Amino acid sequence: MKKKLRDFIFQELVFVTDPKRFGDDDDLLEAGLDSMGIMRLIMFIENEHGVTLPDTEIEPDNVRSLNALEHWILRHKKE
Amino acid sequence: MNINKGNILEKLNPADCFTLAMDEEIRRDGLAGSQCGLVLELSNCPDITALQQRISEFSQRFPVAQASLQQIGRHFYWCKRDAPPPLFFQHHCPNDGNGVDFQQATIARLMNHKQARETTPPIEFHLLTGTTRNAFVIRWIHPFCDARGADLILKFLCTADDAQRQQFGLPATAPLVNVQLGKYRWWQKINLLLKGKRYITKLDSLQSIQPFANGQPPQRLNYSVQRLSVAQTEQVNKLARQYVGLTGTSLYYIGCLMRALEKLQPDNPGEAYCAPYAFNLRKQRALSPMIGNHVCALFAQAPRSMVKDRQQLFGHLKQQNTQVIRQQLDYAFLPLMWAGSWLSLAEYGKTLRLSYGSGKERSSFWFSDIGQLNLLADSFPGAEITGLFHTCQVTAPPALALLCCIYQSQLTLSYNFVEPISTPEEIGKLHQLMLAELLGETQ
Repeated sequence: MKKKLRDFIFQELVFVTDPKRFGDDDDLLEAGLDSMGIMRLIMFIENEHGVTLPDTEIEPDNVRSLNALEHWILRHKKE
Repeated sequence: MNINKGNILEKLNPADCFTLAMDEEIRRDGLAGSQCGLVLELSNCPDITALQQRISEFSQRFPVAQASLQQIGRHFYWCKRDAPPPLFFQHHCPNDGNGVDFQQATIARLMNHKQARETTPPIEFHLLTGTTRNAFVIRWIHPFCDARGADLILKFLCTADDAQRQQFGLPATAPLVNVQLGKYRWWQKINLLLKGKRYITKLDSLQSIQPFANGQPPQRLNYSVQRLSVAQTEQVNKLARQYVGLTGTSLYYIGCLMRALEKLQPDNPGEAYCAPYAFNLRKQRALSPMIGNHVCALFAQAPRSMVKDRQQLFGHLKQQNTQVIRQQLDYAFLPLMWAGSWLSLAEYGKTLRLSYGSGKERSSFWFSDIGQLNLLADSFPGAEITGLFHTCQVTAPPALALLCCIYQSQLTLSYNFVEPISTPEEIGKLHQLMLAELLGETQ
């Protein structure tokens, strides 16, 4: 799951010099993930994983890193 | 200039053509065309030699900076000139002059400078100096680049390290509009095109409110820059998060302006406020592409009845934005822009501006938010950057463009308006209403 997220983020949304060196806990918001990018990312996750991520949970702690995103998705996959 | 295919440097991409059609519309309204400005307020006179060297390096790396815009057949191209125009200009405030007035008047003069499209330089750099105020202005015409491109050019000029400057513009890519279009098969493009057409037809079912409609002919662009304090900006960010969430800060600004305009002119005819805004196709923090437009368009629209209720308005704008992205309507403008680039400028401009149903102006105002500018204050050669704002020409109607950015944790609002359709006094009142909306002091 993380690989697909990683590929989408670094191919479509955010430029980093070396994506391989971007850690799973590194800060995506500081790397430049902006509001439009977050929207696109959520649409990608919903299409890819068949989950609905509630608007009320779109907050920095859930989108800050690849690990945070994975935890967020998994919480909703279990529901 | 001798027009032959050997002189062609680059063909305009569909997003460039979109801005060129608006350039034509602005000119048809009697104004200067799609001039845009990025203004840096400086602590003192900068290191002019270093600045000139970097501008010269920029023009060598990106020769389109000194090209001429030419029509060949149906399409437009950047072509080499026999004599490249100068790029760097200096303006000095007389010793007995008022620095504030001199800066405002010089920038307004630059933005209102009228010149034939073919001879207009794509970009110019102007240094304004004086005993009390210093400023650096990047002025460009929109087909040359978008606001993010100008931001990259500024970052190029602010990069002292030669090797790091070489990284700008790399990797070289095709125009991102074409790259994105290339991801779709032909039937998907048609599907998107029809989606886009239906989306606009739906928007056009409500007649747009024009904020300033006093019947006077447009004469010149003026601007007013308002900077919020750090504490005010924090409060605005907090409220934006509360009302529209992490994904919609721009929508918060748009909604606040709709409400401020409604309070300023509650009796203006029309059924809804409609604001076009562009979103960037570049990856965040990417250093390329520098030149050209790499944007697609979206609309925020709200019926008048909703604008009156703060909670309802922001809920509506947020839901509208989510739906647009969920249904891929954000990309639906791409094939429309491609198709539009085959029309004459007059036909294209009419299609972009006028509502299908009523034939009246679709936009209530123009809007742009370039977000947080990550530029170190001490990075400009020899001077500290103390403030930063944008300006742009706008068609009349709607005769109003709001350009937002955050620099050093301060939200800056640049109101660009066409006189005498609107006046500085009216914009002053509008800003007071806008400020109250942004700070959540209204219901």
